[in-house]
Amino acid sequence: MLEISGLSSAYGRIEVLHGIGLVVPASQLVCLIGGNGAGKTTLLRAISGVQPLKSGSIRFDGQDITRLSAEERVKRGIAQVPEGRQIFGSLTVEDNLNLGGWLHGGGTASERDAIYAMFPILGEKRHLAAGGLSGGQQQMLAIGRALMSRPRLLLLDEPSMGLAPVLVEQVFGVIESLRAKGITMLLVEQNAAAALAKADYGYVIETGRITHSGPSAQLIGDPKVREAYLGI
Amino acid sequence: MPELLQFAFSGLTVGAVYALVALGFTLIYNASDVVNFAQGEFVMLGGMITVFLHLAGLPVPVAAFAAILITVLVGLALYAFAIDLARGSGAVQIIIITIGASIFLRGVAQVVFDKRFHALPPWFGSEPIRLGGAAILPQSLVVLTGAALIVALIFLLIDRTILGRAILATATNRLAARLVGIPVRRIVALSFALSAAIGAVAGLLVTPITLTSYDVGTLMALKGFAAAMLGGMGSAPGAIVGGVLLGLAESFGAGLISSKYKDAIAFLIILFTLFVRPQGLFGKKSTERV
Repeated sequence: MLEISGLSSAYGRIEVLHGIGLVVPASQLVCLIGGNGAGKTTLLRAISGVQPLKSGSIRFDGQDITRLSAEERVKRGIAQVPEGRQIFGSLTVEDNLNLGGWLHGGGTASERDAIYAMFPILGEKRHLAAGGLSGGQQQMLAIGRALMSRPRLLLLDEPSMGLAPVLVEQVFGVIESLRAKGITMLLVEQNAAAALAKADYGYVIETGRITHSGPSAQLIGDPKVREAYLGI
Repeated sequence: MPELLQFAFSGLTVGAVYALVALGFTLIYNASDVVNFAQGEFVMLGGMITVFLHLAGLPVPVAAFAAILITVLVGLALYAFAIDLARGSGAVQIIIITIGASIFLRGVAQVVFDKRFHALPPWFGSEPIRLGGAAILPQSLVVLTGAALIVALIFLLIDRTILGRAILATATNRLAARLVGIPVRRIVALSFALSAAIGAVAGLLVTPITLTSYDVGTLMALKGFAAAMLGGMGSAPGAIVGGVLLGLAESFGAGLISSKYKDAIAFLIILFTLFVRPQGLFGKKSTERV
């Protein structure tokens, strides 16, 4: 569904991604693991069209989207749950969800209800400012907002970051249920063990290059990956 | 007593205009973090273009409509050719660009129009209405009604439409706005267009009372800025309250103390706000959790 080849990107003069190649097949959960500063977030931003490329191409559904605007990519079905949630703090929970459905004219009541069914706490706090939610609730909201755009490919950037263990479990539960619904996902995680346990396929990124890739089971068994990322 | 009522009425009238200018500041500031010091030139253009189109033979309503349209185009051009090109520059650079644009627009107005003062005929005659000993110009009521209508429309837009929410979202978190597919550059362009329209309306409404000339924009921008600061930069209700309070303060200050100090009051208010309550009357300290 998503095919990336030879992707390089830079902040000013400093190149942070060097010729990334990566494939996310339809209906699969692919995870991307790697340390801080390896380029994971930059790669997701490049896929969403908010980070300029130096070279390389991105294809979605067989079509070249390398030059498309961020808006056009959302329209085609790519949504992102960004690192650090990035919710609209001064707006209400409900407004955040409606804006997730911006390209469909603001989201319908039944779409919102589906999100509230998934995350009841958001329904309870629907009229409160999103900035006042706890970290875990903000993460739920960020996921809900991304789902409101009716994505076919969901990019998740460190959804478990900074959350208490019980919430981390809840987030992975949500990912599991989205996968059951057939949503294709690219999951970026520092929590490599949990991510690989759920994913079909995994990529390891180090200083802007893909160093390992393979079916999750194979990566979990790889001594180098185990040592560097799983701490075993 | 009649004097006080008189001061209150003229204060409200000027205050309504300041409120509109402050609202223009607020819209642009909210969508883009830019403090647009060319805001006053929109007021000047609204008045001057109406005057000259009227002199050229167009009826006032047609001239006024054309003036709003042209001012909107100027606002969009300001965004496209000055602000947008400087995307990624710091706030100070962009503020200086808007000051430059303001000087440029004033220069062009001086060449295209002239350097004299101009008036427009009042909409409903100039026979003052007597009320409790005070004389109210019918045009004052036009200004107040017009300002109230515009404020109501803007609040409806921001509060009740998804487009208004998108403007706020762009202001709150530009990256997130792009990620949900909001075309942030078009949203910011829209805020410039709206601000220009509001400024133009303020200018053409008030011209029959205060007259206009190519250089009324400078003081107008400063007054509007003072009003926005007093109300709290970024708060639309604050802009309205700040504008009205500033108008009243000026009117009472000029009437009770000395009219020489009229223009100084706005600056005193800016200083006082910065010392006592830098976030303004309606400004909030950020309470967002991270």
